[in-house]
Amino acid sequence: MSERFKYREDREVYSAARVRALEALLIKKGIITDRTVDTVLEFFETKMGPFNGAKIVARAWVDPAFKERLVADTPKAIAELDLPDGMAGAEGEHMRAVANAPGLHNLIICTLCSCYPWPVLGLPPYWYKDPTFRSRAAREPRAVLAEFGLPISKDVEVKVWDSSAQIRWFVVPERPAGTEGLSETELEALVTPEAMMGVAVAKAA
Amino acid sequence: MKLQHYLGGLEGLGPVSTETRVFVEPWETRIFGIHTAMMALSAQLPLPQTPSAFHTIWTWADLRKGAESLNPFDYFKYRYYEKWLGGISGYFIQHGYITKEELDALTEECYRDPSKSLPSAGDAAIDDRVVQYLVEGDSPKRDAAVTAEFSVGDLVRIEDVPSVEHTRLPGFLRNKTGVIETVYPGAYTYLCDTGPDGIGPAMTVYCVRFDPNDLWPGNAEPNFSLYADLYARYVASADVSVSVKAA
Repeated sequence: MSERFKYREDREVYSAARVRALEALLIKKGIITDRTVDTVLEFFETKMGPFNGAKIVARAWVDPAFKERLVADTPKAIAELDLPDGMAGAEGEHMRAVANAPGLHNLIICTLCSCYPWPVLGLPPYWYKDPTFRSRAAREPRAVLAEFGLPISKDVEVKVWDSSAQIRWFVVPERPAGTEGLSETELEALVTPEAMMGVAVAKAA
Repeated sequence: MKLQHYLGGLEGLGPVSTETRVFVEPWETRIFGIHTAMMALSAQLPLPQTPSAFHTIWTWADLRKGAESLNPFDYFKYRYYEKWLGGISGYFIQHGYITKEELDALTEECYRDPSKSLPSAGDAAIDDRVVQYLVEGDSPKRDAAVTAEFSVGDLVRIEDVPSVEHTRLPGFLRNKTGVIETVYPGAYTYLCDTGPDGIGPAMTVYCVRFDPNDLWPGNAEPNFSLYADLYARYVASADVSVSVKAA
């Protein structure tokens, strides 16, 4: 049993060699091409990523009617914006946004795996995939949020959304105070993936 | 039962990770790319045929089955993409695309020479399909004529369906009572048929609200609600007399 609690000393070097061997074999056998993996990675650098979510939230901040539409029918509202093709693509076919408000804080989790809205947020950060986070956030969200440096008072209602079916969720954080003079583009820079999943709030720079 | 189905509420785990990076080692990007390509080239999708030799089905359900079948200690021990690497390598071996011997031998070569370059080959149509999949997705929603049994505000009880290799029912909700928050329009399939667990065919999906003090009496934080999206198969009437009549 004690072997189970040890890692091989060359843990990362071994995995790097293993995945390189696997990719090489898959290319050799005609399953993928020598460009496939890079094509996927480039797509997430340029088309699907948190830069889209930041634009959506910034628009919601400057246009309250858009924010209402975003919460009421998320895909339809997103389709109004000039974003790359694929906003209803892989892992974003059915999305739902929930908005924070005074006295209300939302947190998105996935206790069974790591469901995440790819088109608007890209790929999930490690904290979201961590089994400890997924276990604890379901029962003690405030304790978990405090570990992220986000104290949530007992007076504030917390809603935790567990993504267990095929709907992908994100949070519209509140617009930070003191940002009245900022342009929409400047506001985008204040929106982080963490704020859009609820383990942080947006802050003025 | 599998611990991986019952993570919600588990105690004694220590502090959470606050790591905000998506990949913590460069090699992790490669296995993510391979997985995404497999999903895009999976045989059941209505996308253009390509010269790719991939001819079987690979969806999230296959990746999840692998993670759910792990020894629970290993599930916590290994990092996210380490589990992917193990599961995906195993799939290619199991389906006869590669042999364990050739993967081991080439791993050894790449280990000794990390600068060893990848082969150059492949038809661009394969990569076009991968991009097409990312852009178009694979919607599980169907216009099937289903009638939702419950309405917003209804009290419901969560079924304790047979435990199988893969489920979308979080274990901590089994036998618990909740209130319907949303009835999603239309009907949703799942990526595979989960057998006696009961999802796969198009059915209604509900968002159900639970009181954490019902889930973990005396042991949950105050002033919060937990919501879960649940396939209709998992949702039953809270009225015992109705259940008895139906049985």
